[in-house]
Amino acid sequence: MKPPSLLCALLLGSVAACTPAAAKVFFRVDPAPMPAAEKTGIRDLVLTWPLLDSSVIAQLRFKGYRLWLQCESKDLADAVAAADRAAVAGVIITNVASSGQTPVMEEIQSYTAAHNNLAFRLLISGGKQPQMKGRLVVERDGVLQVSSPSTQPWLDTNLAIVRLAQAIYPGSLPILYDFHWNTAGGPPGAWKPDAEDYALAIAEADAARSDVIIGFPAALQRALNTGDSQAWSLWKKVVPYLDFSPRAQMVKAQPVAGVGVIVDETQASYEPVNLMARHNLAFEAIRPSGLTPTRLGTWNSVIVFCSLNSETAAMVRDFAAKGGIVIFVNSHDEFPWHSTAPVRRESHSTTYTIGSGQIVELGEPVIDPENFARDIRRLLGRERTTIALWNSLTTLVTGYREQDRHETTLYLVNYANQPDNVQVQVKGRFLRVRLESPGEPCCVSLPFVARNGFTEFTIPSLRIAVRVHLESGEEGSATK
Amino acid sequence: MRWANLALAGPSLAAVLLSASVCAAQSDTFVHQKRYTMGTVFEIVIYDDDLPMANAAAQAALDEVVRLDSVMSNYKPESELNLLNRTAHFHSVRVSHELYDVIEQSLYYSQISDGQFDISVGPVVDLWKVALAGGSLPTNDEQAAALRCVGYQKIEMVPPDQIEFHSDCMRLDLGAIGKGYAVDRVAELLKTRGIHRAYIDAGGSTIYALGAPRGANAWSVRLRDPSGKAAPQIMLRNDSVSTSEQSAPSLLPGDSPGHIIVQDTGKPLKTRYVVSVSALTATTSDALSTTLLLLGPTKGAALTKTLQNVSAIWISSDGQRIVAGDSADFQLAGKKLPTSLSPESDATIETSKARKDTNQ
Repeated sequence: MKPPSLLCALLLGSVAACTPAAAKVFFRVDPAPMPAAEKTGIRDLVLTWPLLDSSVIAQLRFKGYRLWLQCESKDLADAVAAADRAAVAGVIITNVASSGQTPVMEEIQSYTAAHNNLAFRLLISGGKQPQMKGRLVVERDGVLQVSSPSTQPWLDTNLAIVRLAQAIYPGSLPILYDFHWNTAGGPPGAWKPDAEDYALAIAEADAARSDVIIGFPAALQRALNTGDSQAWSLWKKVVPYLDFSPRAQMVKAQPVAGVGVIVDETQASYEPVNLMARHNLAFEAIRPSGLTPTRLGTWNSVIVFCSLNSETAAMVRDFAAKGGIVIFVNSHDEFPWHSTAPVRRESHSTTYTIGSGQIVELGEPVIDPENFARDIRRLLGRERTTIALWNSLTTLVTGYREQDRHETTLYLVNYANQPDNVQVQVKGRFLRVRLESPGEPCCVSLPFVARNGFTEFTIPSLRIAVRVHLESGEEGSATK
Repeated sequence: MRWANLALAGPSLAAVLLSASVCAAQSDTFVHQKRYTMGTVFEIVIYDDDLPMANAAAQAALDEVVRLDSVMSNYKPESELNLLNRTAHFHSVRVSHELYDVIEQSLYYSQISDGQFDISVGPVVDLWKVALAGGSLPTNDEQAAALRCVGYQKIEMVPPDQIEFHSDCMRLDLGAIGKGYAVDRVAELLKTRGIHRAYIDAGGSTIYALGAPRGANAWSVRLRDPSGKAAPQIMLRNDSVSTSEQSAPSLLPGDSPGHIIVQDTGKPLKTRYVVSVSALTATTSDALSTTLLLLGPTKGAALTKTLQNVSAIWISSDGQRIVAGDSADFQLAGKKLPTSLSPESDATIETSKARKDTNQ
């Protein structure tokens, strides 16, 4: 699988990412009429620059929408000028990496500084339609398939590219992603994408706390605008999910993560990190330059995909000495702890005991990311696992801690679109566990048990998305 | 059934298959449905002119798999299997026709494999599944305690519909046969609904082909090849193929966990082979793929020769290929091989061929 093209990130090293207070869902539409925003539940529309007829901006604004222009970085000057004239909300910049302009970053910064009236966002590439994938490629008259041992469901998820992009784009310009719909298959005569596809895409962005652009098919746009009853029947199922996302406003949210992933590019780390996400290993990604003892102190394990200088290597060593687990991937550097004898040396790995922790050096890149993710979970063990799901191979979970409110919120997304009773185990003790569902008033109390430093509960019939609010009072919160 | 030649390998293969299938096309239409059940994704493709009927049939077929999962699941506490596991130590338990049938068939494969295939290995499998999911490796004491519970001879079938365990800790796990059984039930259901061209896939490990695509004689399926050199393919028509492979080894220090357990030792099987088995029913191919992986190519080929309408291929990570069976007709990497070779001679031939491929 191709990693997201975050090469541009190196150009944008000084542009910082920020995690929005809540995920914002943009819809990319044709420059054509739309029904009123109050009916669609949509707030933000994206139009692709250049526009043949810019009067559509005024028409759509009149219908209650906030408009954005999406342009390639090479067209930024013209797009910004047009955005100024039309008084749109902002500009979304794409194709930064392939623009070939070395001063792209400076140019973007100059525009963001000179146009305080406009918001700017960077569109990262590599997004995928969130879905539980099958294995078959079906054509009109045949099926392409390779037999295999039994496999767990493959989930296409954007969590990894979001986490990596947030690490690699360390600045103040928000990022967002998009994807192409796969419209093949489905029952004859049915809309594709269907309501559940939209709902899952919205829910995933919510769980990643990342903005997303969702493609709005022209046929659906026309059908809604002409009052087609089937189209409206579909869209009314989506609206509760659009309403659900902005309800999760968190001002000072920190991801609940027991694992820190240190990266300086994405080629080597994307697939392992992708599989870590799919195995619900709660992680944060960070560049080596952002590493501090304080930041390290929020994790119980660190996975290093890049070279470290002597200063960061010393930090990592100290982290291990205090009981942390450190895993170096494809490591061939010399480190101070090599002066001591390893406790184990095997064909693929060398293990050092440092203080009360350990450092494992893998001598090769990750060949089998699935296996790697399982290894990491096994290495962490139960005690270091921050969040775990049981008997639910199609559900992903993310967690965020609201510092000032003593509350941790879990976002659970089921990619199978089938009701599933999901058993959840969270490290930490909580006073209350409340369930929030799309289309329902907040919230329903869930029964839970506290056991051995963990809190356990079951989410009944999770079909696409829920949030779970864990209130810790003054006792503590989800811990590393 | 027959094994087909595929002279090309690597990235170009998919394109070749794609273009071939399209060229052979008439004007058929299809429905494709998938559902998460039995811990994997079941997929059904039906080619039919009556798409609403085909759609309803696929829906009903997947509903049937979900129902069978509620019978055979060892993950769902309320499944019929788990009820049996909780109570059959005390007295014989009346079970559904399906559960009785699949357990009875399981015992047949235990007998012909001298106990290598054994659905009573559940307690040991559970220990290693915990490790596979990230838990700690089981201790020797834990393994010994679990092994004490194992033994298919302690399962008593009381016709017509009761089962009793003669062990106080026995627990059955149908993971090596249940998906195949479900695939067969789905094929039957589709036939009764008038479907003649369908492809049923249980997560890639067991596949059954009903009829053939219009304009073709059979459905072609590439088989798992850890060496990347053999590019084996099988043509399916009213028969099945299943593939078994041990979990990938851990990169971390210590023993690697695995989901296929050697009954004698209680430890994960260590093998460099992947095995694919074709048979007339998915139950047979599913059960035998695990069995033949456990037996290895020498004993496995000997067993295969005693079975009708069964063929098997073992492929190792270094390119060795061993073929066995009644109706096998292999052509691998452009070279047709005689069927039912002894494992040793076959392996030798294929190893040298693999080396040649590498040098090229």
